[in-house]
Amino acid sequence: MASLTAPLATAASAPDASAPLATAAPTPDATALDALLARIARPAPASVAYAEVRFSKLLTAPVVTSGRLEYTGADTLAKHVDAPYREDLYVERDEVRIERAGQPPRRIPLQRAPELRGLLASFGALLGGNRAALERVFAVELVGDAGGGASKEPAGAWRLAMTPRDSRVRSRLTRVDVLGRADAPRCLTVLQGDGTTSTMLFAELAREAWPATFGPELVAKRCGAGAP
Amino acid sequence: MSASPSIRRRALLLAVWLLLLAAGGLFVQQKLVVGGDLRLFMPSPRTDAQRLLMTELGEGPASRLLLVAIEGARPDALADTSKRFAAALRTRSEFAAVANGEQGAEAVPERLLPYRYLLTDRFDAAPLGGARLREELQARVRDLGSPAGAMLEEWIPRDPTLEALALAERWQPAGEPSRIDDVWFDRAGTRALLVVETSAAAFDPDRQRDAMAALETAFAQERTDPKATLVVSGPGAFSVLMRARTEREASWIGSVDSVAMILLLLLAYRSLGLTALAALPLASAGIAGMVAVTAWYGTVHGITLAFGFTLIGVVQDYPVHLLSHRHPGESALATARALWAPLGTGIASTCIAYLSFLFSGVPGLAQLAVFTITGLAVAGFSTRYVLPRLVGTPVRDVGDSRWLASLSERIARLPRPRWLAPVLAAACIVAIAASPSPFWDDQLGNLTPVPAPLLKRDADLRDELGTPDLRYLLVIEGRDTSDALTRSAALDRALDGLVTSGALQGYDSASRYLPTPDVQLRRRAALPDRATLERDLGAALQGLPFRAGVFEAFVADIEAARALPPLDAATLKGTPLEARIGSLLRERANGAIALTTLTGVRDLAAVQRGAGEGVTLLDLKGATEGLVAAQRTHIVRSLLVASIVLVVVIWIALRRGERVYRVLLPMTLTTLAILAIFRLAGIPLNLFHLISLVLAAGLGLDYALFFERAGEDEAEHRRTLHALLVCSAATLLVFFILALSSIPVLRAIGTTVAIGVAGNFVLGLLLARPPFRGRDARREGRSV
Repeated sequence: MASLTAPLATAASAPDASAPLATAAPTPDATALDALLARIARPAPASVAYAEVRFSKLLTAPVVTSGRLEYTGADTLAKHVDAPYREDLYVERDEVRIERAGQPPRRIPLQRAPELRGLLASFGALLGGNRAALERVFAVELVGDAGGGASKEPAGAWRLAMTPRDSRVRSRLTRVDVLGRADAPRCLTVLQGDGTTSTMLFAELAREAWPATFGPELVAKRCGAGAP
Repeated sequence: MSASPSIRRRALLLAVWLLLLAAGGLFVQQKLVVGGDLRLFMPSPRTDAQRLLMTELGEGPASRLLLVAIEGARPDALADTSKRFAAALRTRSEFAAVANGEQGAEAVPERLLPYRYLLTDRFDAAPLGGARLREELQARVRDLGSPAGAMLEEWIPRDPTLEALALAERWQPAGEPSRIDDVWFDRAGTRALLVVETSAAAFDPDRQRDAMAALETAFAQERTDPKATLVVSGPGAFSVLMRARTEREASWIGSVDSVAMILLLLLAYRSLGLTALAALPLASAGIAGMVAVTAWYGTVHGITLAFGFTLIGVVQDYPVHLLSHRHPGESALATARALWAPLGTGIASTCIAYLSFLFSGVPGLAQLAVFTITGLAVAGFSTRYVLPRLVGTPVRDVGDSRWLASLSERIARLPRPRWLAPVLAAACIVAIAASPSPFWDDQLGNLTPVPAPLLKRDADLRDELGTPDLRYLLVIEGRDTSDALTRSAALDRALDGLVTSGALQGYDSASRYLPTPDVQLRRRAALPDRATLERDLGAALQGLPFRAGVFEAFVADIEAARALPPLDAATLKGTPLEARIGSLLRERANGAIALTTLTGVRDLAAVQRGAGEGVTLLDLKGATEGLVAAQRTHIVRSLLVASIVLVVVIWIALRRGERVYRVLLPMTLTTLAILAIFRLAGIPLNLFHLISLVLAAGLGLDYALFFERAGEDEAEHRRTLHALLVCSAATLLVFFILALSSIPVLRAIGTTVAIGVAGNFVLGLLLARPPFRGRDARREGRSV
């Protein structure tokens, strides 16, 4: 876990200032967050089916891809795209490698793609249940009732709103939202600095079909069915 | 004659002398430019290849690179410091280029972006048309659906084929280090790395020192964490470091020497005034020497001055001879006149030896010759004609001392072994011939060697940064820029194969960045016009989700590219590529030279084979050694000629074969002995040994001339002994201290001369004494 988030920790401009946050005595919120993280943690290696919807201002319709995410827990996250084309993407240490059939792999330094870092950090920290690692990079806000029942949210739905602490990262990556219900995340939405968004939908949501063209509302609707 | 006018005349004379010295000093201070280009001490290049070598040595792309590491703090602080530091350095004129990993395609200025279609080779096989466009646009849709989309989105409308990115990737140096926070780091992630190219040549120590100082200042101002420290390596950094070390050591040795010399003179003559006056010929020699080189050359190398002062140190012997030989009852002027025969002969002979350096073909040595010859002559004439009028007649005869008398007596009883000369000469020659160690050391670097830990750190940084090899370089001499670039491009293709096969890790050449004008024009002609492109684009976009009109900027760029003149080095002014192209492609009066630097050479033979016809593999180390060896041969030959002239001069002065033999014998034997000692000790000789041998031989000649000078009477004989004791003790002391230096160049001079002084004194004593003299003479006289 530490190795996964190490490059992220280096990006934080004020790591010393954020450290007390992570080590402070748990507040009621922190206790709830710990409880939630404990429930959604998965031992590595973990694998999950996903569908990803990305909106771009260059395109009239979002790009929808689907495949499997594999998290080995050490320092790699693999994203295998199965449809509508095949592509393998590996996040390893300090770079992202994109492999497409018949082409030499393309390598992107992780530092040039802060949203990927965000994705990796949030994903790794969530699966690893590591609140300290998560809060080193993000200011985390838990909305909704992870325990279920006590609040007005239906059926234990919750949302983690994660804002990067580093202002430089924040200029490219505004927020990462994780929506879930009970012990499973349903969607992970990355809001970029330029306003474009991409959302990953997990498990049974990944298998739903999409219309030819649609807006972010549909994604929000599917993810947020019952979410706060 | 009353004393007062005499004193007044002396004061006036002294004042005039001092005034002349001051005027000379002022002239030197106003006009003298001290240069630092070490190539002055290399022979003048004669062939084109040598000329290129000389340029490459100092200005070669690899030799001007400084490797910089920032360490000792957290990675984020190091990365921040690296960015601020690099930004600060880019504003300084001392640096031609600064790379810390930050610059990518976005560093290419806006106005040059349309050029990507003339620079890329990706449409050479099939022009940019419908099918290719369709393929690329489909790939871009995928990119936008992948995490890479975030960074590509802003580029795609202008550059749907990602040409700028492809070029940037191709231009990346081979084996580029990994990045943390956009800047280069070593593999362990503990050191931020930069490569800085200085504007100054590596062998221009003064400007390199300025560059180093600028680095330090900028670092101190820009570091974001006070714990962060700066490490600078590379040829320029080493030359600054070693020069500082040499100067520091030479400076303290010089101070110790001066103090020792003054104490010795005070002890010998017991007069503050005389000691001060005795310094005047040396001061005059120094100032006159500097005035001469300034007037002749304008610029004087720092080494010429430092080394020249060492060489003219021998003129301190001249006043010593005068002071020791003065005695009551004879005016100092008469003493000087009497001394002039041996003294003048010695000076003339030494000047002849140094004259050979004037014709050595090495500018630095020629300067040294002008400096030394002027200095020796001025010191000689001032001792002969001016100093005697200042020192006056003494009340005391140094020859009267009792210890000197007993010493003289003991010396007179010394044997004059006839067998010594042939036996010693034979032994030396056997030792010189039989020693298995190399005779010459032609590696310039050995003169001021860089400490091993620094070399190790340098190799480590070089490995991390993938910087070009310092030793090997491929050279193409073209008729013009276009020819050089065309052949360089062909070489690139051959080297690509070698990189694939593993013989080479990477290379860099101007043709990697700059295709020939022909190729650029061909690519330009193949670009579609606006109507064709819009039609093709429309067809290619069928069924793809791109918004209408997204690619307007792309169409505009292609249209702009169709009107561009081919890119050349001049157009690149002010871009990050300017410095790199400038160092790899040089225009000459009669053509152009394209250089290819190599990185990670594993199989040199394969590189040489692969390079093919018309490409020269320049081995900078081998070629330098070759040049040094050629220069040395030339100097040795000049010295041989000089030694013949010298024998002639001595012959004219002494007129009798037997006397000439006695005078030349100690010097010749000592030179052989010095060579034998170095050979037995396994010390190969370098240029500075050679110069020092001349210095030692000159001293030996002086000693022998005085030893040989028939002592008409006992007292005169003792005075000569006194003078020679003071001279040799002073010189031995000075050069013995120099021999203790930790820096080889100083040690070479010190050991050579120290051994030379000792050998010349002892052998002069044993072999140069005339057979009839003093009591010895009387005894022999009686027996006849």
